[in-house]
Amino acid sequence: MKNFTYFRPTTAEQAVALLENRWGNTELLAGGTDLHDLQKEYVAQPSRVVSVTGIGALAGIRVDEKQATIGAGTKLAAIAEHADLRRHFPSLCEAASDIGGPQIRNMGTLGGNLCQRNRCWYFRDEHTPCLLKGGQRCYALDGENKYHAIFTQGRQCVIVNPSTLAPALIALGAGVNILGPKGRRSTDLAKFFFSPANANDREHTLAANEMVLEVTIPVRNWANASYEVRQKLSYDWPLVQAAVAFQGGRNGAKATGVRIVLGHVAPTPHIAEAAMKALEGRDITDANATAAGRAAAEGAKPLSQNAYKIRLVEVAVKRALLMAAGMKRYWEM
Amino acid sequence: MPWPTTRRVIGTKVQRLDGPDKATGRARYSFDINLPGMLHARILRCPHAHARIKNIDSGAAEKTNGFRALHIIANAGVQLFFAGAEIVAVAADTEEHADDCLHAIRIDYEVLPHFVKEADALRAPDGPSTVPGGTPNVRPGGDFSTAKFDDVAYEGTAPRVEGTYGVAIISHQCLESHGLVAQWDNDLANLTVYASTQAVPLTAQALAQNFKLPVTRVKCITNYMGGGFGSKFGPDIQGIVAAELARKARAPVKLMLDRAEEVAVGGQRPSAAGTVRIAGTKEGDIRAYEVDCYGSPGVGGGATVNLGFLPYVYSVPNIKRRHRFVRLNLQTGRAMRAPGHPQNCLLTDQAVDDLAASLGLNPIILRTRNLPQNDQNAVQNDPTSFPALRHTIYTRQLEIIRKLCSWDDRWHPPGRGDGVIKTGLGMALHTWGGGGGPPNPTRVTVSSDGSVLVQSSTQDLGTACRTVPAIITADILGLRPQDITVQIGDSTFGPSTPSGGSTTCPGISPAILKAAEAARDALFAAIAPGLNAQAADLSIDTGHVINRANNNARIPWRNACGRLGMNTAIGNGDWPTNAQFQQNPDLRREWRGRLTNNGVGGVQVAEVKVDTETGVVRCTRFWAVQDCGLIINKLACESQVAGGVIMGVNYALFEECIYDRVTGRMLNPDMEFYKLGGIRDMPDIMVHMMDMPERGVIGIGEPPTISTAAAVGNAVFNAIGVRVPQAPFTPERVLAALANGRKRN
Repeated sequence: MKNFTYFRPTTAEQAVALLENRWGNTELLAGGTDLHDLQKEYVAQPSRVVSVTGIGALAGIRVDEKQATIGAGTKLAAIAEHADLRRHFPSLCEAASDIGGPQIRNMGTLGGNLCQRNRCWYFRDEHTPCLLKGGQRCYALDGENKYHAIFTQGRQCVIVNPSTLAPALIALGAGVNILGPKGRRSTDLAKFFFSPANANDREHTLAANEMVLEVTIPVRNWANASYEVRQKLSYDWPLVQAAVAFQGGRNGAKATGVRIVLGHVAPTPHIAEAAMKALEGRDITDANATAAGRAAAEGAKPLSQNAYKIRLVEVAVKRALLMAAGMKRYWEM
Repeated sequence: MPWPTTRRVIGTKVQRLDGPDKATGRARYSFDINLPGMLHARILRCPHAHARIKNIDSGAAEKTNGFRALHIIANAGVQLFFAGAEIVAVAADTEEHADDCLHAIRIDYEVLPHFVKEADALRAPDGPSTVPGGTPNVRPGGDFSTAKFDDVAYEGTAPRVEGTYGVAIISHQCLESHGLVAQWDNDLANLTVYASTQAVPLTAQALAQNFKLPVTRVKCITNYMGGGFGSKFGPDIQGIVAAELARKARAPVKLMLDRAEEVAVGGQRPSAAGTVRIAGTKEGDIRAYEVDCYGSPGVGGGATVNLGFLPYVYSVPNIKRRHRFVRLNLQTGRAMRAPGHPQNCLLTDQAVDDLAASLGLNPIILRTRNLPQNDQNAVQNDPTSFPALRHTIYTRQLEIIRKLCSWDDRWHPPGRGDGVIKTGLGMALHTWGGGGGPPNPTRVTVSSDGSVLVQSSTQDLGTACRTVPAIITADILGLRPQDITVQIGDSTFGPSTPSGGSTTCPGISPAILKAAEAARDALFAAIAPGLNAQAADLSIDTGHVINRANNNARIPWRNACGRLGMNTAIGNGDWPTNAQFQQNPDLRREWRGRLTNNGVGGVQVAEVKVDTETGVVRCTRFWAVQDCGLIINKLACESQVAGGVIMGVNYALFEECIYDRVTGRMLNPDMEFYKLGGIRDMPDIMVHMMDMPERGVIGIGEPPTISTAAAVGNAVFNAIGVRVPQAPFTPERVLAALANGRKRN
């Protein structure tokens, strides 16, 4: 691990002041479950590390009638266990409780989950000079890509965004508050993510001298759910994730405002517009959920080894919709 | 003298003596050894799958913070044949500084062509050679045919069934990685190492040889060991390098592999794949088994790819085998828990179920009909041996498991069942040796305060072998296992056999028995005169010495031992030598027919649930019936079987080394994408141990993992009605098999 200078400011303003306007030399540290791994592998080699663990105001969950606010420093375990969050946003809490193992959830934070680097095995191998490390080619394109993106159009790098909170939050209409050198700004979480193509890009649109302060979620009594297709129950990344949210959809009411967001299928969380349209104003039935699943997979351009994910998208969307509508989970073993 | 017929402790359920230490973290593994002034060493490894070193420039490393010593393993000009091959090692004051030193070293390579995938090497039979000596990558592994196979094999059979079966290269993934801590004394005359090894004395010998020291000057200690599975039989390069660096730096050096190194160079199990044709009569007598198979030993010669006993277990009259080694630019394959057997089992038992389906027979019926017969010659000459009993044992095991898992209620014809989640039941059989041998000298010392010490240089890999000496000695001396102090894992206690081939428990047990009996007899001889008795008047009852010469007076153990005064009662025990066995057949019959034995059988059944929409497989229940002769510790036996099943479920469903064709590098040398199931991914495991004390002690380490994956594969087939050819049975492979099945229909 390259030696670094360690900073531990006590306010977000101090933290932002310590950041630089280009990536690489200074990194923000929260739970360390990602950054320290990258440092040990010499993939990230910052000479300055700014810890946010001394910023008390960064952690915490507030839920009122209008919205929930979750601080960027909030631990994943706290999100998974929060009773009010669980009541309003089961999709978020279930996604949080399935991340990694207890050690990861007790260290990892909301901000870290949204800003973490991708898990591509070529990117994480010190000795493979992929695009995101300044190299000339994406090794996954025609290499070992069964865990990579299937929505690949126009993308030079075919990673999948690893966050499972992001699809759930985007489906719930979450926003994100960001602090930079010029003060605070807000954006839809849907616009937060980015498809990187070179060493100067990250998986999100933060500037190098900005940091996430908190995430806000409107409270509006919408049905919501997240379903992950997982090879293992313990400690595994989902192969495909679908997060859904809609108004109505239960007890014969039509579903409106339908939001369907896919995880682990594209370099960013993938908003399934066609599926949302297909289901808008309809009942949540097995047939309609199946049709929405099919629509969600439309336009996929899989790589040499991951066409199976198309089928998984169809199934994950169908199951997430049925879960949100409170219907029978026919797939439970 | 054979085993006691009335056994107080032997065969009961005894918790392992070091369980609390291991559970609380008090137990110090080799990885946990930290000595004053100790340095940390790391190894620079070749990043290419095949390359020649053009130049090494290590000047900057020696100026890096914390640098203490450097050792060149491979010089300029040397050709390296896999990514991970060792080049330079550095010792520094911290592990991080050692890493920094490595990153300051510049090496120029001439990158050479490589193969890391079996299919690629098979497609290029005429080269280029990418392995040592320019020899072919694909080599014959030995063909075999019974007489006139092509003429007679398929006579009178129902249509033959063809299938392809395979299993990926997997990693040993020892939780404690390979390596050791090396410490020299001040004048560099004596070397002590704390090693993670399956062979304590052998490791000391290998180091003595390397450093040209008398073996008496090298001591190897292995107090606790975090798994080896066949991959840890000596110091390896990293062990020798640690001692080299310790000598150069004149300070203790720790060199344990990190996780990525452990997976990339700490051992891997050869792959296997084959196309099988199998045929039988419509009544279910298997007549023919024909296979074209290969496996990859990595860059090694091929000894670890043993597909030479196909078909596995069953008695088949007509056999034809074509076998190849596919050498790749990967680390040399190492022995792994029942070398060759799981692969042979997968290529046999899955084909047997496909045949059963084709004949419309219940697989348990087909298996019962094709078991190997008891060998009549063995029945006459060696009646407790496995060949003499194999038909009897397998038949009983099939009866037991049939009831245990309610086979007749649960089993259904393949693919039958409604709904998205399909349940299936699958079965497979296995066999193994597990006989022990010399030398395993053991010493039992009884002190005048009643304490008892057992010493052997053997090692406990995590199997509970440390508790075996306590159980046997306690049984002979009328004590409790916790009353016995056990010292193992120290090469200065003398020779012992390496822990390979499931030979440890049968290797040490009879020697412990003899030593405990000898110590008891020495105690009796020493104290009898003071009790106005002959030694023969004394005997043991729980916690007491009984004196027949004095109205069967019961002397509490401590009081009896107190009569030793300044002395101790020492008993030594060991096997006869191989020469003695040859001279004396009775001796052989006693030691290798009554005290111990060789050869076991086992039957396993898996229940899986398959999500036919996602291809996800969960193994939900598992039944294992296992024989192992005389059971020493029933709890540890059951635990060994459960551990074997867990290992097998893992390589059936999750484990696979994945290599990149272009870079030749392993992509998942970790525990993230090298998937290992957690406890939630494991089935409920029911273990039935067949106790056959008349056969003596037989090892149990390897057998229970052999047939697990084949049983899981058959359960998946039973659930969905189509065969998933390649293990691990991952979602994409299951979905592909289901899609192929739909196409065919």
